[in-house]
Amino acid sequence: MTQPLIQMQNVDKFFGSFQALKNINLEVHKGERIVVCGPSGSGKSTMIRCINRLEKHNSGKILIGGRELTDSEKDIDAVRREVGMVFQSFNLFPHMTVLRNLMLAPQLVRKNNKSKAKEIAMKYLERVKIPDQANKYPSQLSGGQQQRVAIARALCMSPEILLFDEPTSALDPEMINEVLEVMEDLANEGMTMICVTHEMGFARSVADRVIFMDLGEIVEEASPQEFFENPKNERTKLFLSQILSH
Amino acid sequence: MEAITGWWDDYFFASIVVLKIFMASLLLMVIFGLIGAAAKLSNSIIAKKIANAYTIIFRGTPEILVVLLIYFGSAIALTSLFQLFDPSIKYVDVPPFWAGTFAIALIVGSYATETFRGAFLGVEPGSIEAARALGLSNLQTFVYIRIPEMWRIALPSFGNHMLSLVKDTALISIIGLNELLFVAEQATATTGKPFTMFIVVGLIYLGISTVITLFVMGLEAYGRSHLRAAK
Repeated sequence: MTQPLIQMQNVDKFFGSFQALKNINLEVHKGERIVVCGPSGSGKSTMIRCINRLEKHNSGKILIGGRELTDSEKDIDAVRREVGMVFQSFNLFPHMTVLRNLMLAPQLVRKNNKSKAKEIAMKYLERVKIPDQANKYPSQLSGGQQQRVAIARALCMSPEILLFDEPTSALDPEMINEVLEVMEDLANEGMTMICVTHEMGFARSVADRVIFMDLGEIVEEASPQEFFENPKNERTKLFLSQILSH
Repeated sequence: MEAITGWWDDYFFASIVVLKIFMASLLLMVIFGLIGAAAKLSNSIIAKKIANAYTIIFRGTPEILVVLLIYFGSAIALTSLFQLFDPSIKYVDVPPFWAGTFAIALIVGSYATETFRGAFLGVEPGSIEAARALGLSNLQTFVYIRIPEMWRIALPSFGNHMLSLVKDTALISIIGLNELLFVAEQATATTGKPFTMFIVVGLIYLGISTVITLFVMGLEAYGRSHLRAAK
């Protein structure tokens, strides 16, 4: 088997004296689609934020494409170029138009010229089906549109891996589907994805593996079928009964 | 009104002096404010303490007193410094222009310190994270994300600081600078028409501050264009 794209080995993370991650071991191969779920405060977001070093792990090893994440700014920047992230609250740049939001990193980080960057930006805006919003500011868009722009912005860097941190949690219910559709398209095209989400329908239809976390630990890791039909751990069962009961 | 004939050129050159002080003190005020804000936001306890002392002292003492103390204080300090090299020097004269400019920049800079600090902290942390996650360097994030967000937050207060600077230029007449108030006093002494002479000063200041206010309003409108409601 080829080398995994993401390797986390015995990773611990502390916030002060609180241990947010306990001995996390995870391997993700190219093209895999992972869904991470669990109660709030279980360390899901912290785990994926360690992958692009928005959080710094305290011990253990994280390797992305074989490159170890250390304090080296050079390594961190190299990893961030290949790992895209979509946030719960979109985090678009409010003072820039949609188009400029998308062009910024291709120009500054990938050193594309302006017309090339614009071409890339329009390509991905079409991909998320809102090319007509290119010249608006983020505050003029609906939540669902903003999140699709955020996904397009990440795609403009042609990342190897996309991380989704509860991408639909801040959306009104009627806007969740338009975002999930884009995510499903990406999954079907073979993008390597790790999604922290409570959308169990998405997990069922798209994920290769579902990871359940609680209290900073990976409690259970299984195929969606196994995970939903036949969960092993008591905590998983309790969690599933709580979110699937209505 | 004929009393004023013959004084127009004095008023004109004094206005130029006021504008020069304003420009020089504006630049210094921004520098002092940025240094003060950086010190308050730094991890160094000593830098924080010094910046706190700076804002407490300059916001807590009368402005005219600061102008006087800096003028005479710098003269004394420079004199003793020069005497180290040449004991025959009796007194070093500090130009009132620079002593005054420095003084009002320090005063308003202490207010700007708080404005810049607040603006830095007011930038959405999410924007910064998103930029870092896209692979932008610290410097790129600062230039393309933090600064554009910061100036929009700081602008309303910054406009007030600019008006304070303009008005504080009048304080410098006390250390003998040939600016508007100084000219008006001379003209009054010659013509015996204080009200006419001082109302001219008032109108000139009002003219300058109106230009600044309009400029800031224009900038604010530009900065707000990204917050237009969805239509």
